[in-house]
Amino acid sequence: MKSKAQPKSGFSFADSERVERILSQYPDKKSATLPLLHLAQSQEGYISSSVIDTIADLADCHPSVVMDCVSFYTMLYTKPQGRHTIQVCQTLSCSLNGADSMVDHVRDKYEIEPGGTTADDRFTLMKVECLGSCGTAPVVQVNNDYHEGLSLEEFDQLLESLE
Amino acid sequence: MPFIKIDEKEFEVAKGITVLQAALANGIEIPHYCFHPVLEVVGSCRMCLVQVEGMPKLQASCNTSIGEVALDKKLDGKYDMVVNTQTDAVKQERKNILEFLLLNHPLDCPVCDQAGECYLQDYTFKYGNAHSRFKEEKRVRPSESLGSNIVINQDRCILCSRCVRFTREISGTNELFVQNRGYHSKVSILKDKPLENLMAGNVADICPVGALLNTDYIHKNRFWNLDTIPSVCQDCSAGCNVDVFSQRDEIFRLTPRENHDVNGYFMCDIGRYGFHRFEEIERVNQPLVRNGKSFDVIDWAEAIQKTADLIEQSNGKTAGIVSPFHTNESNFLLGLMINGMLGMLPAIQAEEITYPSGFRISADRSPNQRGMNNICGGLAEDLSSEIKTQAIRGLYILDDGVDRELDDAWKEILAKMDFLIVQSYAMTDLAKLAHIVLPGLAPYEREGTITNDQDRIQWLRPSLSIKAESKPDWEILMLVNNALNKKAENFTGLDDVIIKMGEQFPNYSGITLFKIATQGIALNGKKM
Amino acid sequence: MSAFKPVLTQHIHQQDCHTLPFYQSEGGYSALEKVLTMDPEDVIDVVKNSNLRGRGGAGFPAGIKWGFLPKDMVKPTYLINNADESEPGTFKDRLLINKAPHQMLEGMLIAAYAIRCNLAFIYIRGEFYKEAEVLEKVLSEAYAANLLGKNILGSKYDLDVIVHRGAGAYICGEETALIESLEGKRGCPRLKPPFPALEGYLKCPTIVNNVETLSNLPHIINQGAEWFRSIGPEKGPGPKLYCVSGCVNSPGVFEEPMGTSLKKLIYENAGGIKNGNQLKAVLPGGSSSAILTAEEAVVLNMDFDSLMDAKTMLGSAGIIVMDDTVDMVQACLNIARFYAHESCGQCTPCREGTTWLVKMLTRMVQGGGTAGDIKMLYEITDNIGGLIDFSKGSFGKTICPFGEAVAWPVRSFVEKFEAEFINYIPQQETVA
Repeated sequence: MKSKAQPKSGFSFADSERVERILSQYPDKKSATLPLLHLAQSQEGYISSSVIDTIADLADCHPSVVMDCVSFYTMLYTKPQGRHTIQVCQTLSCSLNGADSMVDHVRDKYEIEPGGTTADDRFTLMKVECLGSCGTAPVVQVNNDYHEGLSLEEFDQLLESLE
Repeated sequence: MPFIKIDEKEFEVAKGITVLQAALANGIEIPHYCFHPVLEVVGSCRMCLVQVEGMPKLQASCNTSIGEVALDKKLDGKYDMVVNTQTDAVKQERKNILEFLLLNHPLDCPVCDQAGECYLQDYTFKYGNAHSRFKEEKRVRPSESLGSNIVINQDRCILCSRCVRFTREISGTNELFVQNRGYHSKVSILKDKPLENLMAGNVADICPVGALLNTDYIHKNRFWNLDTIPSVCQDCSAGCNVDVFSQRDEIFRLTPRENHDVNGYFMCDIGRYGFHRFEEIERVNQPLVRNGKSFDVIDWAEAIQKTADLIEQSNGKTAGIVSPFHTNESNFLLGLMINGMLGMLPAIQAEEITYPSGFRISADRSPNQRGMNNICGGLAEDLSSEIKTQAIRGLYILDDGVDRELDDAWKEILAKMDFLIVQSYAMTDLAKLAHIVLPGLAPYEREGTITNDQDRIQWLRPSLSIKAESKPDWEILMLVNNALNKKAENFTGLDDVIIKMGEQFPNYSGITLFKIATQGIALNGKKM
Repeated sequence: MSAFKPVLTQHIHQQDCHTLPFYQSEGGYSALEKVLTMDPEDVIDVVKNSNLRGRGGAGFPAGIKWGFLPKDMVKPTYLINNADESEPGTFKDRLLINKAPHQMLEGMLIAAYAIRCNLAFIYIRGEFYKEAEVLEKVLSEAYAANLLGKNILGSKYDLDVIVHRGAGAYICGEETALIESLEGKRGCPRLKPPFPALEGYLKCPTIVNNVETLSNLPHIINQGAEWFRSIGPEKGPGPKLYCVSGCVNSPGVFEEPMGTSLKKLIYENAGGIKNGNQLKAVLPGGSSSAILTAEEAVVLNMDFDSLMDAKTMLGSAGIIVMDDTVDMVQACLNIARFYAHESCGQCTPCREGTTWLVKMLTRMVQGGGTAGDIKMLYEITDNIGGLIDFSKGSFGKTICPFGEAVAWPVRSFVEKFEAEFINYIPQQETVA
């Protein structure tokens, strides 16, 4: 068992007030796991093992229990990603509206496979399942933002605009 | 109490138990993987589905509890529940589940350590298909080390999650978890937090297939070659029940044996791997008598006579030193023979460990301190002063082969003695000082009873043969006693000794090895 | 019959429709004021009488669900608003959150009051980051106006609401998986019984209702159960949001009465088939529903019972339209791949079977089809999820309905478009 007084991990939350607020609003600490993971990832870019240890301490559970949770969800990354994440929905309605050609486009133009990151770390390409915006297919999520009903040209411009 | 029918069998069951529990308790097999009696029910393997009358869907028998229904709702006017485990739908479902479980399984039974005791094999043999219909590529994943003693073969894992629940609910150590989801799920550890706890070995036992393996046993033998002896662990006073697996006088592994009054389903790794300690020991195989700085080999008749002579010549000034590692019978016979002052070798103490599930590794790492105390009343507490008071000149030590650091008090005692008779299977520090060494038996060769720290008498059974000229310890003691006293009883076996023991100690009366059997007898409730 | 006027989406085209001042100017929170003077049991009765059935997919009557709560409440009761909208083809809750969040919050307040709950959650899918921000703003507006917090509007009733973001897992839309996820665990559905109404979040009584279900409540309270029942079919009445996507000219969310014809929704609301193509097939209730051929689709009404009679389901009313250019084997593979990706992995049939389907369909589209494949597709889907016959019930092969959710669409694709699957099997294979 790890001592709480001496967190050996190299990670700490920048916004400790927010951490306290999150922890205090739930009836049990473990329920704060996902919000804390989101907060940590927005700070670090991914969930490192020291993030896991820190959150395990805060949520009062074993780090393996946190990792069990992290590894289940597609939005939580256990490895560093590019500066931007490009998530192209590939489920039926998007696929029927040209999503496949968008993935092909990135693959050809930037020479990366889905899951891969450009050599300059500019972005990571991901094929994802239904983003819940089928009415505006095809949909691409760039970081936190949805870009809906994109033509291939618009998509290309969007990629070009990323820094 | 609910009255139910499973297939054609009728019986009453306790209210609230599940269909699976009821079936298993009544000798009806319902195949299952994820269910384990002491782990949380997860109902995920789907192997135990049965048909319950009145319910349209097949039911997971592990999660279907039995209650009492109103009189007018009873099936056939009498049953609270009617379960069928042999309908076509149930049989088909078992085939389906087994097919799914074997899709990506390497089918490497010829080299699998679980072969012969594998539920994937057994259920497939009984309920499964003879041929695979899977034409796609199999998922291939490397085996991984989970800790210093446990390896996981991911391709054989059926994700029943018993091991994960074990570390969460039983050991409370939480090392294992399921990583990823769906088809990519696998049992895993965090790199810096491996499966290192003293209950870790159990995960391999509860794994119903060949996924989790004890590195200690990998590719060592085949299950069907091994002789299995039910016995008791000798590494602490909790007295976990074990099965000892051996072949041609070599022990290959120990596994816990179910006993709800002692260890439940588990044992600790101290006991599990403890047998290796005795593999490389320098044995004493023949009786020895001191000749200056070395020993001469003598035959048993001479050794017994010399021993008896020394004791007789001491004129009642020989003290017996019993051992918390020896059986009740040996300690008792030493007491009977000496009929005077008795002392004891110090017990081995270590940290007491209790797990969240209640499983306990006793601080007393000797197996029979309780029995020794029960049987040998009036053990000297301050040995050196007692020896002085009683002017003791010689010691008969029932040595237990454990290498102890003898403290100064002991060294002083030993130095003052005119003679030391040491009954031991190993050339311990004590044996090295002896005038006569009488070769007894090592653990796993011995037989007898031991009493755990909850006052439960259990049957220690041998797995290994007697080496060279050594003799059972109780027999040596009887022979010396007979040489000292022509009228002394001749015991033909351990049960004779136990009867004699019972005459002196009422708690031990009426006990036989046959009655102790595999589950032991609780002595408490009786006055010592 | 007078023309139907949208209820839930009546204001979505107006500016600032998501703000509290706007909502209040349209009479918002008057239902709450009314409810706060009522006995909670009476609120439940109104909802029971309305026959409001859950809009999340299962269609379970909301009032009856609430009625399962234990009568003697020793433990706290929790309400969870299921905003984990993830069923392919479904995008209605996102609209309600963006455009009518106070309507939803008022619905939550009514439900929470009725079930005597003092802490409620909005579990919103993680990808809806902007929507979670919208909700946070809505909550602070409501707290500031004493619509949340202690002693709401002087009624002595307290309620706190927490926005809780998921992190990418379709299965968390299943209510027990959602609860597990909320508790900080992986989202694996729980064994039932116990049902959440008795043992849900933190083993306390818990009610999980969908965004659209809750958004209906202010209107039911204001206009009465009878009004609600007068809209659409008796057994599952009310206004309904239909999501139409795929090969149509004007995809979108359309509010119509329960029981609106699928033909109207596709050809009128959604502007008909794109590029002048012909309708080929429709998934009427999200990707988990069994597919309909064009002939079947154009005569069906979109309500719980009509669709069940047609051996499919209303589900989340996510209507995915496919035209005659769509390769049904590819579409089937797309759906199978979705489910293989989203299977939580605890139950054997679902974990192993979904990927088996993907591997087999991938082999087929790559030209490696073999004679036995069609038969195997039927058998595998049956073994994962049972038969596509609601009247006989499912076979309960998996802990949660996910098994059925993959089996039904995939099996129905093969059943109704078998010729296309056979076309993928090379000639020499079919004669063998």
